[in-house]
Amino acid sequence: MTNNIISFPHLGNYSIPIYYFLSHVTKNPIKIAPPITKKTLELGSKYSPDFVCLPFKYNLGNFIESLEEGASILLQAGGGCRYGYYGEVQCQILKDLGYDFKFVSFLDDAKLNPKTIYKALKSINPKLSKIRYLYYLTTTMFMINCLDKIENYIRLNIGFEVKSQSFKNLEKRMLSDFKKSKGVISILKKYRKYKKLFKSLPINKPKNCLKIGVIGELYTSMEQFSSYFIEENLAKYNIEIKRYTNLTYLLIKKQFNLKKLLKKARNYVTYELGADGLDNVARTIDLIEKNYDGIVHIKPFGCTPEIGAIPIINKICKQNKMPIIYFSFDSQTSDEGIKTRLEALADMLKERRKK
Amino acid sequence: MELIVGIPRALLFYKYKDLWLQFFANLNIKTVISPKTNKEIIDKGSSYVVDEACLSLKIFMGHVDHLQNKCDYLFIPRVACLNKNEKMCTNFLVLYDLVKNTFEDCKILMYNVDVENNEYEFDGFLKIGKTLGFSYFKTLRAYQNAKKYEKEKRRQKYLLETRKLRSPHLKILVVAHSYNLYDDFVGKPILEYLESQRIAAICSDITTGDEKVNTSISHSIYWTYNKELMKIIEDTLNHIDGIILISTFPCGPDSLCNELIIRKIKSKPILYLTCDNNASDTGIITRLESFIDILKYKKERSTNDQQYN
Amino acid sequence: MQKCYLGIDIGSISTKGVIINQNNDILYSDYIWTEGNPIDAVKRLLKSLEKNFDKEKYQIVGVGTTGSARKLIGTILNASIIKNEITAHAIGTISKYPDIKTILEIGGQDSKIILVEDKIVTDYAMNTLCAAGTGSFLSSQAKRLNIDVKDFGNIALTSTNPTKIAARCTVFAESDLVHKAQMGYKKEDIIAGLCKSVALNYLNNVGKGKKIKSPIIFQGGVSKNIGVKKAFESLLKKEVIVDENGHLMGALGVAILAQNEKEINFDFNITNLNFTTIGVECDKCPNHCEIITIRKDNKLIDAWGNRCERGAIKN
Repeated sequence: MTNNIISFPHLGNYSIPIYYFLSHVTKNPIKIAPPITKKTLELGSKYSPDFVCLPFKYNLGNFIESLEEGASILLQAGGGCRYGYYGEVQCQILKDLGYDFKFVSFLDDAKLNPKTIYKALKSINPKLSKIRYLYYLTTTMFMINCLDKIENYIRLNIGFEVKSQSFKNLEKRMLSDFKKSKGVISILKKYRKYKKLFKSLPINKPKNCLKIGVIGELYTSMEQFSSYFIEENLAKYNIEIKRYTNLTYLLIKKQFNLKKLLKKARNYVTYELGADGLDNVARTIDLIEKNYDGIVHIKPFGCTPEIGAIPIINKICKQNKMPIIYFSFDSQTSDEGIKTRLEALADMLKERRKK
Repeated sequence: MELIVGIPRALLFYKYKDLWLQFFANLNIKTVISPKTNKEIIDKGSSYVVDEACLSLKIFMGHVDHLQNKCDYLFIPRVACLNKNEKMCTNFLVLYDLVKNTFEDCKILMYNVDVENNEYEFDGFLKIGKTLGFSYFKTLRAYQNAKKYEKEKRRQKYLLETRKLRSPHLKILVVAHSYNLYDDFVGKPILEYLESQRIAAICSDITTGDEKVNTSISHSIYWTYNKELMKIIEDTLNHIDGIILISTFPCGPDSLCNELIIRKIKSKPILYLTCDNNASDTGIITRLESFIDILKYKKERSTNDQQYN
Repeated sequence: MQKCYLGIDIGSISTKGVIINQNNDILYSDYIWTEGNPIDAVKRLLKSLEKNFDKEKYQIVGVGTTGSARKLIGTILNASIIKNEITAHAIGTISKYPDIKTILEIGGQDSKIILVEDKIVTDYAMNTLCAAGTGSFLSSQAKRLNIDVKDFGNIALTSTNPTKIAARCTVFAESDLVHKAQMGYKKEDIIAGLCKSVALNYLNNVGKGKKIKSPIIFQGGVSKNIGVKKAFESLLKKEVIVDENGHLMGALGVAILAQNEKEINFDFNITNLNFTTIGVECDKCPNHCEIITIRKDNKLIDAWGNRCERGAIKN
């Protein structure tokens, strides 16, 4: 059992903390799925149900590529919407394709929490002690939080870098460094080091630059490949980007946030809307209050919770004259089309500023 | 002046119409129900939501649109959770707020069922009673009476559908959410066609009560309604000749559940139909025809085999 | 010598060009079919513009490109500005119709809506999914019905009872169309139905949730189809303007934008040079990015299309 290779689907840069976590709580070799490419999506789409949402296809593609490279234990999480049911269907599809593997879900009764994760890990590593598990769960959360803080800084400033690719290159270096973390002290040291390094990268940022908030569904927000690197492409037009969704938010803050969200959105929404629907309504209001120049809403095609929330978001934006554009990503979305829309958005916002 | 409550003939109406209508009747409240779904209702409904929303939601919004000036209160149920550890499609969660924001001038009757947050069915009715000015006991009596009525209706329905399982004709289980199965634009034409071909079409909404069910088809399924559908497939599988799955484009839960059903149920032929507001009837009829032919052929062959043996 | 500016809009179906003076007046204009070869189309376009161009009187000091091949042609012509078609169309239209509030546009592959207030773009949207309901969709359906797409609009007007056609998805529409034709519906009713469904589809997809205020202008290749124009008017219950130069608005807009750029010295000689584009598939990772390389007389002048640094092609 301990020779079996463990793998899991990608979720942006979070494969690094997940790798770190698994390598300390199991004795098995861990394999990060091969980087997402167009091939991943093609593979995933080929074996996916007709109108399932895009993240399912990416996840399935990741699994197939991992299995092809020798993985034999696959991990899946989820929650909120259909995401929680991905696992069983993906497992069935892969079995029907003839792969031999063990499928472990972090979910139990559609819930994801420290207890269910522990239960899942025990099935791989029966000797895992609670103390060891809790320690590494905490350090992993800490690492996720550190990465999220640095990523926030990157989004605010990457559009103004003086030397092209300087942010990207440093980010790559940082991730491979974090992958080798040991305990909480080594994570903290790395965080401090890279925070300093990022702050020392030269930028040319005017005081009142254009500011855009990116809201929407969680996978397309966090896995940049699936949104055709929308943040990077937007930033290129000298725009500061704000994004609310990250793992720190989803795993920790969201648990305590419902009341706050309902209060913020009280003029429009009375109840929770499912998945991140209410969150995005509240974020829209927040961005308007903070005088942002525009909003970009992203989601996979057919994402039900967001579809329910969009008419409400649209109404709020219209009442407050807030420009918003929507992207619905699909396996056939074209690169060029997205760039055209983003360029037009940047032009429009610049013109509005002039007035 | 007499108070009128408008009820959209869409989504959960088909599942709870006995309970709801009887409850309002017990309180002597006049209700108006929107007409059967037609093309105009769908077109109207489509204009209120995103193009890629599922057909069932578009239909619902069309019905609300129809009712907006014809009643004092709109009855918009928000059913977020029916059993602990189970979920509903998020569309049911947004209905109230979606309607509230879309039809700003309408008054909405609050009805919220969210068992996970300790809001049970009766709490929902209690809120209605309060809004309309009825005492706790009056509401309770109306509810208990309506509940009894609903139970009896469900029992009758159960007998009716299970009787079909003993039919000498071809027996097909038609699996769909009740709001799709009985909608005049989605499932109804299919049921009528099957009937015209002298086929026993067993409808999938034959739960006897509100109890939580379990199914061996899927171990992690958490959508209450899809779970019930899987359970019925499991229960009737040995008595039927084939299964028709009907879904509306692009239904979230169905996209995964129906895939799993098709992959797991290998003993009976399955036809999967997806309805879109664009799909033409002829395409569906063609596919139904050939599916029935296959089933007939299969049945004949198996009876022949039995004779030989 | 008067200064003037060249604007070129290279779309998937047609290529449009205008030359304007400093007052935004169109001096010369022309349009030809792209025929899948933008470089060749632009060369032909320039040759035809050059024929009438008064070289004694005018000098082109700015060049702008827009449309789906804007980058390719912009690189070749060494353009002063390369702009997306949304901005270009808006600026061109506003220069001719300063009060305009709504621009509806249906082109060969794309459709878009642009909302304007006080000469500034306040909102826009483009089609999200497939080419259903755009020009290429209409011409393929015309072919199926064996009718010249140019006659489409006038035939549609003769119908009194448009057939209902599902046109959200190309595949659905085709099967529906074939079916309706088989059932013996009149040709003009089917065509009128198609025009109506194109308009309805547009309003339900691109125009969803947008406040469409008058004055409204309808542009792009499909605007030449009077059937679709009438369908818009009856659905919106408002007057819809179609400008005879509507197809030139993108080119005009980008020519106007070129006025603000650094002056260049444009030479029609460019049509004699030999440009080739070669798509190279990058094999450095499974993305297999298609990298487009442009060569002028066999010398690499630019390349793009790579998603990452690994695929960068250098001189």
